[in-house]
Amino acid sequence: MTGKVIYEVKDVSKRYGSVVALDGASLRLHAGEVVGLVGDNGAGKSTLVKVLSGAHDPDGGHIYLDGEEVRWHSPRQALEAGIETLYQESGLAPHLTVSQNVFLGREKFVKGFLGKLGFLARKTMEDEAHRDLEAVGIAVPASNRSVSQLSGGQRQAVAIGRAVAWARKVIILDEPTNHLGARQAGEVLEVIKAAKKKGLGVIFISHTLPHVLEVTDRIVVLRLGKIVKDAPTAHFNGDTLVGMITGTITTLAADKE
Amino acid sequence: MVDSKQSVTVKERIQGFVGNQTALLILVLFILSGVFTALSGGSFLSTSVGSTILTDWGSYILLAVAETIVVISGGIDLSVGATLSLSTVTAGWVLVNGLHLDASITGPAAWPYLLLALLVAVLTGLAVGAINAVLINIFKIVPFIATLATFGAAAGMAIIVSGGMPLQGPNDFGLINPLRIPGIDPKIFDTGLFSPLIILMALVTVVVGLFLHKARFGLYTFAIGSNTFAARAAGISVARHTSKIYLLAGALSGVAGFYAYVRLGGGSPSSGTGMELYAIAATVIGGASLMGGVGRMWGTVIGTLILITVQSGLLMIGVATDWKQIVVAVLIAGAVAVQTLQKKNGAR
Ligand SMILES: Nc1ncnc2c1ncn2[C@@H]1O[C@H](COP(=O)(O)OP(=O)(O)OP(=O)(O)O)[C@@H](O)[C@H]1O
Ligand SMILES: [Mg+2]
Repeated sequence: MTGKVIYEVKDVSKRYGSVVALDGASLRLHAGEVVGLVGDNGAGKSTLVKVLSGAHDPDGGHIYLDGEEVRWHSPRQALEAGIETLYQESGLAPHLTVSQNVFLGREKFVKGFLGKLGFLARKTMEDEAHRDLEAVGIAVPASNRSVSQLSGGQRQAVAIGRAVAWARKVIILDEPTNHLGARQAGEVLEVIKAAKKKGLGVIFISHTLPHVLEVTDRIVVLRLGKIVKDAPTAHFNGDTLVGMITGTITTLAADKE
Repeated sequence: MVDSKQSVTVKERIQGFVGNQTALLILVLFILSGVFTALSGGSFLSTSVGSTILTDWGSYILLAVAETIVVISGGIDLSVGATLSLSTVTAGWVLVNGLHLDASITGPAAWPYLLLALLVAVLTGLAVGAINAVLINIFKIVPFIATLATFGAAAGMAIIVSGGMPLQGPNDFGLINPLRIPGIDPKIFDTGLFSPLIILMALVTVVVGLFLHKARFGLYTFAIGSNTFAARAAGISVARHTSKIYLLAGALSGVAGFYAYVRLGGGSPSSGTGMELYAIAATVIGGASLMGGVGRMWGTVIGTLILITVQSGLLMIGVATDWKQIVVAVLIAGAVAVQTLQKKNGAR
């Protein structure tokens, strides 16, 4: 069902001043696998996301892409390696249009000399952005509208559409169903399944545990910066997952086998 | 996107019109010109006044252009006026003290030296811009403080280099005087509004405006000012891009320094004094937000014209120049109030 290991972190730590946000966390992602990352508020999920996306340089630990150790000095390097991230806090520039956001950092230029000077092919990007978002199919807004005029759900759809459109290896989605209605949230789950079918590795973060149980192959539980459980989704049920997250239980029935 | 017909209140109508800021600015400009024409008994509409206004516009526009780009990126540059002073003075110093030339060289004979003056002025501006970039991106000093420091240093340097006196050197005043095409009766087609150098300033403005609104340079500038985190997450090197912005601001201030040199026939250490206030005012009147992410080159061009028109108009109707600063302050406050009204209206 799932392929080889594409992305892996070993023993990463990250502190913000005196706050230890990540304390020796390890995580492994296979091609075509959806890993759910769960944990209470402040457990360190978004921090781990930022380490994986190149936004944070960890204080310690190792990162491997396709088995080779990498070190990200900026998000650009991770993006170029095929790793797309939807951040929990807005990763969109509100004053730019939908298509400008979708293509930010990967612009298309007009042909010829002016293109060499950096002049943009606005219409082309608007059309392609519209196509990309339609392919994802959630609450598609017009390409040339300013993001500041969109609803929270539409913004989220743009951010997800952008990640899906560009990802070549890994998609990291930090609470992608935030701001979404039930139907749109369901569509996001379909998007995740489609990405998995394409052979991408997906890391899915959510507080909506039924979603996590529905769509993931494996669940990793973070508590206070430490990974306290990493097991196949089939080993959890709603109650044990909540117990693991809050720390009221530490072992699963399947662990004893 | 919603096409339901709702009754539009008068207040909404006003807000909608205010939302179209370029139209509003042009309207303001027309009203101001009308008022001053009436108050001055018609003389405000003459070509010579128009030409004076445009010549003044040439002095301010490049600083305003520089400020606009910096402000859109979410920063501020307080050093543009002092950079103008320093670059005009270094240009004068090289010609007068370096090459031992004087004001006896005039007309086209001065052109090679003026080209050198332009080069020196731009290099000086770039140097100040580079210092700003280093202070902001390497030492992580907020733009307000970093450019306040270079403002003080550049203004001081301008006085030291010039000895506090204007350095009169080679010049061709023909470059700054109204252009008249031989053989064409000025009454039929009066080209006397524009000097060659004004046309150059306008060209620079148009080119920079195109890069701001049509090219990647501008897109990144807006992106950084709109949401720095998003820009970084999209793979933009924020430090590198903001460095380019402050370098460009320095270079444009240098060109403005060259303009001042030609206008005054030499490098004068006080030619840029206080001009950063005008640059910021023109930018804000033009619709740029000091929070970043918003601004338009067109707006700044007209904003500069409005400032100059008000100044010249007040002068013509006999209001003392001391009032200038106060009027500029009122205009800034008014522009910000309009912006707030716009935000309520949800316009960009
Ligand atoms: N930029 C920051 N500066 C200082 N502390 C931070 C910063 N970001 C996160 N933290 C702290 O690090 C810890 C982990 O935060 P993180 O955002 O990774 O949690 P999370 O699991 O994503 O939580 P949530 O479910 O609320 O999104 C928290 O204690 C938080 O207060
Ligand atoms: Mg989080």
